[in-house]
Amino acid sequence: MKDAGKYVWTAIIVALLAHFAFIHAVPRVMMWVAIDRVSSEGARYNAWSFADRVTPLSRTIVRPSPDFAYSACAYNLSDGPVVITATPWDAYWSLSLYADNSDNFFVVDDREARAGVEITLIRRGRTPPPDNSARVVESPTTRGIALIRRLAPDLESYNAAAEVAQGDVCAPVASVTPSS
Amino acid sequence: MLRRVAAWTAAVLVGLVLGGASAWATLEIGRGNFGERYGAWSHSRATGSTAAGPYTRAIIARDGLLALSAREALYFNLTQDDQGAPLSENCSYELTGRPLNTRWWSVTLYADDSFLAQNEDHAASIDASHVSAGPDGRWRARVSTVRGDAAYWLSSRNARRDFSLTLRIYNPHRDFRASEETLPALTRLSCLGEA
Repeated sequence: MKDAGKYVWTAIIVALLAHFAFIHAVPRVMMWVAIDRVSSEGARYNAWSFADRVTPLSRTIVRPSPDFAYSACAYNLSDGPVVITATPWDAYWSLSLYADNSDNFFVVDDREARAGVEITLIRRGRTPPPDNSARVVESPTTRGIALIRRLAPDLESYNAAAEVAQGDVCAPVASVTPSS
Repeated sequence: MLRRVAAWTAAVLVGLVLGGASAWATLEIGRGNFGERYGAWSHSRATGSTAAGPYTRAIIARDGLLALSAREALYFNLTQDDQGAPLSENCSYELTGRPLNTRWWSVTLYADDSFLAQNEDHAASIDASHVSAGPDGRWRARVSTVRGDAAYWLSSRNARRDFSLTLRIYNPHRDFRASEETLPALTRLSCLGEA
């Protein structure tokens, strides 16, 4: 009986630690699941996937908007920088980058980049590749998700967005830089 | 000795259960009382932000993963009607609003699992490019399981209870100010079983 206090305090301390661990883990776990889905369970990093039109059957990401055509790329910088480009679209479009804790650490839209955008994505603290002419963006985490939203509220514009999306690039810099 | 090991194990297990349950409850409560409120709409400027706190991140991750930061878009969620009741497909509602001072906006209906309701009505969303205001300067949309005579319709068929509406505001103009007056208002018209 005299030990009861010890057990109660242990339960309280463990509860506090579990509470904060759970809160911190939720966005990371959700992002890991999303990265896993976008990358086809890790088999397809650094490549765009043009998503099917959002319907009631869409179950990849919560709260999808049926008014957008989405392209997603699960990036992985463990083998070096990645080049990401977005082809312009004649209505609203944006390119946004998400760290693996769900933070939206970069976004550019058609107001700032009417002619499209090209970025070189590097891990924070690393050096950009030599001869890099594209805008350099630092990712706070090794893995994450790049997302292009193109406003396409009807089937006709969605189909047009699908064609435009074929010009987007998400690939390791090494694979798109001609060897000298 | 065995009793002591069992007691320590029980204390740790109780702590884990309490910690997990309290975190889950915090997120559930936070979901409905999240950030700033404008009438029935809730909104957090920290959405997607790198400065978001751990609770904001966790709530957003559950209900709006891959949301844009407030620099690009504003998200408002509505889970209750004008009488404070949870939204239900057993009721019909009218959503009314004035044109918003923004480049583009939409309102989308989500079932309680945060995905589109399982129906084939193709009426999950209304947006600025298809909605125009009447002579009184307001647009009106029906939120119900059937369209009826409504010009604009958000289908709640198979949305069950506790569905929600999300208002997206993209590239708000510099003088856009969210308020109960500027955001659309939801009014409950009737419910099944009411006299």
